[in-house]
Formats: sequence, structure tokens, C-alpha cells
Amino acid sequence: MTGLAFLSPDRAERGRQFEPTLASPLTRALGGDARVRDLSGLGKIEVRGDVDAIDADVQVVRISPGRALVLCAYERCAELRAVLPGTVIDMTAALAGLELTGERAMRRLTDLDLRELPAVGKVAEVPAVVLRDGERFQIFFPQEFGHYVAEVVLDTLAGIR
Amino acid sequence: MRLPPQPNERIDRSAELTFSFEGKAVSAFAGDTIGSALYAGGRRIFSRSFKYHRPRGLLCCSGGCANCLMEVDGVPNVRVCVEPARAGAQVRAQNVRGSLERDLLSVVDKIGGPFTPVGFYYRTMIRPRRLWPYYERFLRSVAGLGRLDKHARRTNRYDVEHRHVDVLVVGGGYAGVEAARRHARAGRRVVVVDERGGDNPGSDFELVAPARAIGIYEGGLVPVDAGGILYRFRADHIVLATGTIEQPLLFPGNDLVGVVLPEAVRRLVEDWALKPGERAVVIAADDRGLDATDVLERAGAVVVAAIDLRDGQPTRIEAKGRRGRLRSVVVGDREFACDLLVASGTPQPAYSLLAQAGARVEYDRRRGIFLPTELPANVEAVGSVAGELGSAAIPAASFDGHKGRCFVCLCEDVTEKDVKRAIAEGFDSIELAKRYTTVTMGPCQGRLCHLASIRLFAREQETGPDSIGTTTARPPWAPVSLGLLAGRGHEPAKRTSIHHRHEEAGATIMWTGAWRRPHSYGDPAAEARHVHEAVGLIDVSTLGKLLVQGPEAAPFLEMLYPNRFGDMKTGRIRYGVLETDAGRIMDDGTIGRLSDDQYYVTTTSTGADTVIEWFEWWNAVWGMDVEIVNLTGALAAVNIAGPRARELLARVTDIDVSNESIAYLDAKEALVAGVPSLLLRIGFVGELGYELHFPSPYGEYLWDTLLERGADLDIRPFGLEPQRILRLEKMHILVGQDTDSESNVLEAGMPWIAKLDKENDFVGKWALEHVRERGFREQLVGFEMDNGVVPAEGGQIVADGSAVGRVTSARLSPQLGRVIGMAWVRSDLASEDGELRLKVNGNLETARVRLKPFFDPDGERLRS
Repeated sequence: MTGLAFLSPDRAERGRQFEPTLASPLTRALGGDARVRDLSGLGKIEVRGDVDAIDADVQVVRISPGRALVLCAYERCAELRAVLPGTVIDMTAALAGLELTGERAMRRLTDLDLRELPAVGKVAEVPAVVLRDGERFQIFFPQEFGHYVAEVVLDTLAGIR
Repeated sequence: MRLPPQPNERIDRSAELTFSFEGKAVSAFAGDTIGSALYAGGRRIFSRSFKYHRPRGLLCCSGGCANCLMEVDGVPNVRVCVEPARAGAQVRAQNVRGSLERDLLSVVDKIGGPFTPVGFYYRTMIRPRRLWPYYERFLRSVAGLGRLDKHARRTNRYDVEHRHVDVLVVGGGYAGVEAARRHARAGRRVVVVDERGGDNPGSDFELVAPARAIGIYEGGLVPVDAGGILYRFRADHIVLATGTIEQPLLFPGNDLVGVVLPEAVRRLVEDWALKPGERAVVIAADDRGLDATDVLERAGAVVVAAIDLRDGQPTRIEAKGRRGRLRSVVVGDREFACDLLVASGTPQPAYSLLAQAGARVEYDRRRGIFLPTELPANVEAVGSVAGELGSAAIPAASFDGHKGRCFVCLCEDVTEKDVKRAIAEGFDSIELAKRYTTVTMGPCQGRLCHLASIRLFAREQETGPDSIGTTTARPPWAPVSLGLLAGRGHEPAKRTSIHHRHEEAGATIMWTGAWRRPHSYGDPAAEARHVHEAVGLIDVSTLGKLLVQGPEAAPFLEMLYPNRFGDMKTGRIRYGVLETDAGRIMDDGTIGRLSDDQYYVTTTSTGADTVIEWFEWWNAVWGMDVEIVNLTGALAAVNIAGPRARELLARVTDIDVSNESIAYLDAKEALVAGVPSLLLRIGFVGELGYELHFPSPYGEYLWDTLLERGADLDIRPFGLEPQRILRLEKMHILVGQDTDSESNVLEAGMPWIAKLDKENDFVGKWALEHVRERGFREQLVGFEMDNGVVPAEGGQIVADGSAVGRVTSARLSPQLGRVIGMAWVRSDLASEDGELRLKVNGNLETARVRLKPFFDPDGERLRS
């Protein structure tokens, strides 16, 4: 099997007259709004198989009995791809992510039970993985919806008085 | 106009505000509703009735009936008796031609009786037939309640909020609050929803008010209308404390302005310090109704008669009035001059939400009301809705009088006579009679007419209400605005990671499925020609992209596609067409072999989700050792196409790009401008071309780099429309455009794809074998117009006066200078150079059949 290098943004090579630069699908819609943190640049690795065997110091979100999403710093992608068990697919480029604060906003974005996170469901009608840390919520979703989701999130925040 | 301050009044006399009614200023206190302020200003007529346009005044004063519907700030059907007064609000009467006092349409009440019985629109006015269009136009102009400005924009913001709670209590009265406290003490998170505003009575539960539960749906979903927000509650446990609904009595004149329910008296006096009348008669079936007497006397009104129906029922009740306003009441053989009649029957438990939740509802003979029984699990009823009621009389189904209409259903203007007539006509089941007369189907949702109509029905049928049964309770329990149900108007849109570059370049953006894509950058013809002459760049990130990997990947694909894949060499690509079980074309794309057990599959842009589901479905059915990974969003993709494509590619990669190293239909992994990419040499647009698939976050970077490095090669971006012209020149089909749900690969002119001699079975094989055996009926062919007319897609092809085919695609090819297209034609017409007659704008135009691609028929440019 090939290593599927073309899936991993961190396999880009700088120098020799080329300076590849990453862009986030959320940048334009967010326009620097401080209420939303853009997490699209995080490393995201999907593991299929025995997800219980994942033994690494990273955040693991179980998506189904045989699938998990590993969230890590972008710089750790290469290292983790090498050590994670089962089928390892680099989803860094596939998913956009953002963090917002406030349960009220989240309730207006998703019908997931916020008492039982992390969970997989829909946010702004789009399939998403949602994590919670107190009042802060992290959402990961297909990057092609990034601009749309960012617009909906800002509109939702605008409606909260 | 106001009474002296009342102990619990809701108005703040120090805060005045002004709104307008029919253009005139109305003053109000903070805490007033629009209705109470209008009442304080002397208004007694609040609406005109649905059919007869009779004057109607405040009746329930608690947001239950339709007597006070008005238009507020452009929103029709607002119950002004509970709508808070807002400074600057524009309030108008509705369902009126003229004014509330003088409504031209009230002529229907005077003379329309014989012409407008129940269901009149099915039988009167339909003859003579030629007049019906006029009747219809008139009826449509007067039908319905309220007007909407079709051109108005959204004015109100509506949000939807999802709530998950342990316990939801509907109704914040005594019983509801008690239940809430009980659950809160047990450590549960409790939310109470109440129709009236108020302060949160403590920290042990959360109060959502003013808000209305509008139904209970499957799975315990309780939508709650809180004005600009729709709360979608999901609770582990639901407590219903919805109380009772006061029921009007049925007697002639029971809709006159001045006939009210006891709660209206209580609210007018106690909440807003308003005197409901000077001389009053009270007729009630229970203590709560009779309490109105005390309230009225405290307010300084004279109660000329108070009749307790428990002490015996009068033989006759009749309200008399002038110009729709109450003047006197006849009870038995006595007549009382009065301007207020408080009349109520047995309070009916508001069981609708319980019934929607799945409770049984039965008629209680002893008490004369419907009661909920057999509650579903996790649903609790407390207080009066559960039947905790004082003693009450069961009033007659209707009281006789000498003259005047006796209304069963005020919302829909259904009279006692209408119900009798419906029964006489044979509508002897309550469900049918309900639909025929529309009784209970108006804005009050049966609150004030459900019990009355069933009891009347039972009396006329000479049976008991328990044998009549009840009609089904359905959501919504209260009217709800469509804006609230719609919520925010967001439409999920997919954008490629290069999207903003297209916008910046001034592209026209169009929808293709959920995707936003560039139609062109201004000149589709020039963009198409440029691909033939120099080099063009198109964003094809929308292509569906799948990785199929595992030991059985090859056999898996061979069973899905009619092609062979096992014999493919690593690094090669094949075009594939997916078939449904019935052998019809479902999607197409390319399949590249990355290694022994890895294939990279592309699909059409709009077919991606369907294909992925299809693959996963069959993988589950066959249980093969195959893994499917959706890479659609992970990878951006661009196609560099044109005679100078190779030169450009050589500038941005280190690998050998010669025709020998990367031949037509080769796949290779390489660094392109430093970005790890999968390079596919494919020729959808008919010129030398390379598709680059690479991590989406580099979309803008690589797009910019290619345009920059190719500037001196005159590289230009091209959009979807030029791509459609280019592919048509090559007769490359577009699934869904040139094919439909009946098309198969054999008749679509691609028999070389279907390897019917393959050892294994494949999806749709039997159907293709059948097509081969029965012979071709129609075929997909190319055509070339004799003149420059562009036929419409979907246009007919005719022979001997009948349709023999249809056009699927047609464009002017700027490269060829001719109009070309594709069409399905009867198979005997599918011969090279055969003549076709196309219907274009009513004329017959001539075209010639072409079976080989219009441009570069032998693919020399593709392979060069």
C-alpha cells in the first residue's frame, strides 16, 4: 500500500522556490471575530479498528465502536500516524474546527444533548463531532461547509441577548 | 377609564407608552396588552367574525379564542388580548371591509343565511357554471383570516433552541409549581413553561414565560413558542398542569359583544383595573364561574342576576342586542337589561397535550366533561387537568330562545343549525361532521367548541357523548407562526477551498447540488477556446473522492462496476460507470489503482454522497474485506488542461512529466509546488490534461502558484459552463444531464464498458444482458445542427409526426463554429450522418447524427 502522502498537509516541502501555505476555510467568514476560535489547523487523524488499543497522550473521540478521531497538535501528525493502531487516515485536511463559548449558542446550533458530550451529530444541519470543556465547545465538521458553518455560528451569536 | 389601583394589577401607571390603532394614537401603561389598552380607550368591538362578519368583542381574554385577532406590525392573526403593548406598534383590524364598526361584508349576516350554509362553496354559486370564476374570485378575496404582504421581507428574527432537561412542567399554576418543586427536591433539573409572564418564584426551577407548548410529538419532543424563540424540549419526564378551559354556553345571541367568560372579567379587573360593564348578569355552572359576581361588585358594577346552574336550569336563555352589542338577557321568563353577560358551563380539562402524548381520553358521564386516562410512561398530569375539580352542573347542550343565531364554534361561525343540518345530511360520525362543518378547526383549536359540539351532536343523535367519542387531538395545540417553525434561513452550502479565489476573480457563482461553483469568469466561449489553444485551470474539488482499500478491493469494485479492475496495473486509471440493480446508469467517474489493494475512485460532484452510501451498503451486504474512506472534502483538486499543460506542470514538479513517464490514464504521486499530490492524467475536456488532487488547505496556495507560474503561458481559469462545452465536443456524457433513470450503458453508446463475459456477477448485469438480448430501442448519439440554431435541452425530435427522441445537451462550440449536441433517438435513426428533425420554437430544424466525438475523434490530442 502507498502511504497516501497526498492526504497529509504536513508532508508538504518548503524551500526550492516553493513556500506552501495552509489556509483555513473559516478565515473569511470569521473575519477575526474574537468570540470564535478557529481550530481547523489542528491535527485530526481517524483510526479504524481496535480503537481501545490507542495508547497515546492525545484526545481521542470515539465515533463508533470501530472508529475514533484523534485530535492533536499539527506538529504531532507524523509521529502519531506512525504509532496509532489499525487503519490510520489523516483527516487533518478534511475537517474544519472551531471553538465557541456558551451553552445558549450551542443549544441553537445543535439538537445534541449537551449533557452527554462528546458526541457525533449535526451542528447547523451539518455532520459534526462536538466536544465540551465547561462552557467551551469544540466542533469539527467537513471543511467544505466551513464558511457556511462560520456564518451560522456568528449569526447565532448575534441573536443571543 | 381605569378603576382605582387593584391589589395585584399588572400595569405600571407611572410608565405610559403609545401605539397606534388604525393610524390613531392609543395610550397604554407598561404591563398592558394591546387588547387591554384598546379596551381602556373604550373599544368594545375587536374583530369581525370569519363568515358572517358579525362584531365580536373580548371573550376569553386569555389568548384562547379568535375574537381579538388583529394585525400587529404586519403580522396577521395576533391575539391582542395577550400581546404586550409596545411603544410604536402599528395595530390594524383584519377581516374587515371598512371599519370594525361598519364592515361592508356584514351584509352576509343580514342576507347571506340561505346562501351560505355549511359547505356552501360546494353547492351554492357553482351554477351557472360560467359565473363560477367570478364567484371564485370573490370568495378567494374574502376567505381566510388576515393578509400577508407577499413582497415583505423577514421582519422578525426567529431562533430555534434545543433543550434537554430532566423534567418539563407545562403550566405554571399552583399544581404545576408544586410538581416542579417536588421534582426539584428529588435533584432533577426542572423547567416550567407558562403562558403568562411572571417572576421566577425561586431558584429550584427555571421558568420559561410567557411561552406556550404547542404540541407533544414522538419521542417526547415538546416545542414551546416563546415569541421569537422556538424551544424544542426533550425531557425525560413531562408534567402537564394545563388546567381547565372555561366553556361558553350555547344560546341564541351567545356571540354578542358583551357576552364574556369569567376569566375575562377577572383579568380585566384584577390585571388591568378595567370595569367590564355597568349592569351584569352572571350564569355559571360552578363556583369559579360565580366568583365573577364578587369581582364585578368590587369593581363597582351592578350584578342584576346571578344564576347558578346547579340550582336548576332555565328553560330559555337568550341574549338580545343592537348592532352586535348586548342590550338584555332573557333567562326563563325574565328579561334583564344589561351590558355584560358572564356565561360559562362546566370547565373542561385542557387535555389536548396529554392526548397528543398518547393518553386515552374518555367522557365522564357524571361530570359531563372529557377526562384523560391511562397516561403514557414518563407523562404525569397534575391539578385540574387531571380531574381535580369542584362540583359543577352539566348545562343543557343548548338553550332555546326565540330568535338569533346560536353559535357552536365562534372561530368558524358554525351555528347550532349548521350542526343539525350536517347530521340531517348524513354526516353522522363526529370526525366527518367536524371536517364538513369545520367546527373545532378554527384558530381556537376546539378550546371553546369541542365539548359543546360533541354534546350537541349527542343530543341530536339521541345518544350519550360517551358513545360519540372525541376527535383526534393533533399538534399544534396553539397557532404558531411559520417564521418560528422555519427558524433562521440558513442553507447549508459547500464551498471548495479555492472558492474565494473565484469570487475575487469575478466569477459568476451558481448552485450545483449543495456546491457553490463558478459558472464562468465572464466569457464562457473564450474560456473554452483558451483551453484548446493555450492552457486553462479549473477547480474540480467538488468531485467525489473515495479510497477503496483492502485485500478484496479489486473483486469488490468488479462486482460494483461492469468494468474489469483486477487486470489493471498499478498507476493506471480506468473510466467506470456505476449501474443500479436494474442496469440503469447511476454515476460515472474514474478508478485509479494506487497499489495492489488500493483504488482511488472519483465520482460526479453531485453523486458523491449517493455513491459512498452505495459502496458502503454493498460492502455491508457482501461482507468483503474492504475499507471505504470518503476523501471528498479532504482533497482539493484542479485540472490543468490544454496544449501547454505539460510545460506548466514541468515547472512545478521534479518528476519526469514526459508522455512516456506519465501517459494518458496514468496516476502518480508527486510533490507539486511542494504540495503532496496525486496526479491523474485524464481528459474530460478533450485536451492534454492533469488532475491534481492534494490536501484542501493548500487550495488557494496551489491555485495561485499555478496561475503565477503559468502567466507567461497565458494560463486562465475556466468555469463550469466552458467545461460543459468542452466535454460536449468530446461527447463525454454528464450523468443526469444526458442520462435519466431509464438510461443504460449499452444504449448510451458505451458497450465497451460492460464486460458481460466477466466471470463474476456485477450489479445490474442481468439487466444489461436483457438489453443486449432484446436489442436497442433508443440510443444516445451526437448531432450537429445544419444552421446556427441552438435547440432547447429536452426539446423533441420528431419523425412522421411523432416524437422519436429528445435533446439532452446542446451548445454552440466556439472551437468548431457549429451547434452541436447529444440526443436520445429511436435506434433505427442512430446512423452516422442520418437526418434528424428537431422541434425548436415551433419550427422543425434539421440536424445530422454524429457517432464519433466532434473534436479530436481519435483522441490524438488527449494522448499526445
